[in-house]
Amino acid sequence: MNIASATQSASGASIRISRLEKRFGAVSAVDGVDIDIAAGEFIALLGPSGSGKTTILMSVAGFEFPTSGSIHVDSEDVTYVPSNRRNLGMVFQNYTLFPHMSILDNVAFPLKMRGLRAAERHARAEAALATVRLAGYGHRRPNELSGGQQQRVALARAIVYQPRVLLMDEPLSALDKNLREDMQLEIKRLHAELGITVIFVTHDQSEALTMADRIAVLKDGKIQQIGPARQLYERPTNLFTAGFIGEMNFVGVTVESVGDNVSVTLPWGETWRLPATAAVEPVAAGEAAVLAVRPERLQLGAGSGGQVITVTLSDIVYAGAALLLIGRLPDGTEMRARIPGASQLCALAPGDVASFTVPVEAMLLYRGSRR
Amino acid sequence: MKPPADRGSLALGAYVYAVLAFIIVPLVIVIPMSFSQNDYLAFPPSGFTLKWYSEYFDSRQWRAATWLSVQVALLTALCASVIGTAATYAMIRGRSRLVTAFQILLIGPIIVPHIALAVGLYLFFQTIGLSGTIPGFVLAHTVLTLPFVVFTMAAALAKVDANLEAAAMSCGATRFQAFRLVTLPLVLPSLASSALFAFIISFDEPVVSFFLSGVRQKTLPRRMFEDIEQNLTPVIPAIATLLIVLSILILLGAHVLRSRSVTR
Repeated sequence: MNIASATQSASGASIRISRLEKRFGAVSAVDGVDIDIAAGEFIALLGPSGSGKTTILMSVAGFEFPTSGSIHVDSEDVTYVPSNRRNLGMVFQNYTLFPHMSILDNVAFPLKMRGLRAAERHARAEAALATVRLAGYGHRRPNELSGGQQQRVALARAIVYQPRVLLMDEPLSALDKNLREDMQLEIKRLHAELGITVIFVTHDQSEALTMADRIAVLKDGKIQQIGPARQLYERPTNLFTAGFIGEMNFVGVTVESVGDNVSVTLPWGETWRLPATAAVEPVAAGEAAVLAVRPERLQLGAGSGGQVITVTLSDIVYAGAALLLIGRLPDGTEMRARIPGASQLCALAPGDVASFTVPVEAMLLYRGSRR
Repeated sequence: MKPPADRGSLALGAYVYAVLAFIIVPLVIVIPMSFSQNDYLAFPPSGFTLKWYSEYFDSRQWRAATWLSVQVALLTALCASVIGTAATYAMIRGRSRLVTAFQILLIGPIIVPHIALAVGLYLFFQTIGLSGTIPGFVLAHTVLTLPFVVFTMAAALAKVDANLEAAAMSCGATRFQAFRLVTLPLVLPSLASSALFAFIISFDEPVVSFFLSGVRQKTLPRRMFEDIEQNLTPVIPAIATLLIVLSILILLGAHVLRSRSVTR
């Protein structure tokens, strides 16, 4: 029996989460969340702790029942179906292998629960172990395996009965960095191979950005933004996402006028004219707004095609591929710049005043004020 | 060169040895007395005989009392370990706000003086006709031994990751299957050890048994007290010696079981 035939018939299911709400007493852990997940999609739920990402996952898994709202898997309402009858694969943060069983019995456990006979169970468990590149480890005990191997066994156990959905609750956070990157690739490969729908909970944004087709950013039980990595990174739809995903510089400004262009006054009195597309959220004249720009979009030196700022440098950090320059704007706001090609910059020292060009198309304008 | 003598640690050492001696001396006295040829309890013993052991094993009354105690202790071990494990599981995994109250109720019998419990149970069992019956003894002893089961099982269950059961359920196991196939095997050594404790506590429990024993239904400890009042022959140290051996075996068994659960 080869790997393909063990896993071929599995294909992803679509999932629809509608107006999901979960309250614990007075606290809303999940507050009106809607997510439509296409069959075979890899979606990451990303947010700080307490954002409700795990509660959403547990509701899909059937370990939490929502206060209101519904969850459909392939148009079947599973909102209140017990977890053992949902046929979903699940991988937990801390491996959760059964310590008193061999690796093979661990992987075969879901098949045993489904009444398969021992011979077939073991054959399919072996095939699943081969899928996660652990063929021949079946006779060992969980405590004889490394953390990464244990998590791969947990993965094998979750896919052995060919579920149409795979749920993962921070599966890589217990692993060290190198292993984590290996496992990210491993999981991506499995996803591509099996065509299974994946919901992946993480608080690690780089993990979410590299692995998922789409990312749902959560805060306080609400979805802040949902979209592909590129969209989230290049045009975050609100201040939270802008600050949460990647590095971002923020400058508080006052809106002067709104029209074909948006005019804003900077804290040191200068007025800039931005294209109307810079305003991610609608802004009104006279109101406070926040100008955001990614550190890697700043260009060293006064150039054209943007606005020029002067920064008093306080730190110059060599970071391999790029040089990180940290300094302050005339009003004291911190400004970071990541400049590739470090060799030409060795002349700069802390205390120097450097000019940077901010390209017009790199500017994003949000309503409100920062902090 | 020797390190300077520390008076504090010398005193502590002396104290520890004194305590150990205090614990061991009764055993050292009782065991030789059980082989004494005197017809009454005397120390130092004289001669050597096994007749007190044969008197114990030949007596129908002693055998009846022992058999009753064995039955009661076995049933108590069964009831206490099953109820205690279920209750502890509810306390450790449950989310109810009543958990603290529940805990106090379960641990209570350790704090309440046994004599108070015995009087209460006596009056109550007398009215409902459980006094002097096996179910009566088992009920009373189960209450007394539950705290020991709860302590042992709480330590064992707290070490089992609750997510293991969640993982089992996500694999298709029902809640009960998850408990039976995952959690139970992991706490089995502790469960067996707490059942052994319940057995030995019930087997030589004197106070409550004293009140609940009827004219015919007497547990071994109760029968021993009667014998002390009436005869005071070396049969008592002979039985005591047997009980000591039994206790040591059970404690060793419990120790082996617990160290097995630790290495897992």
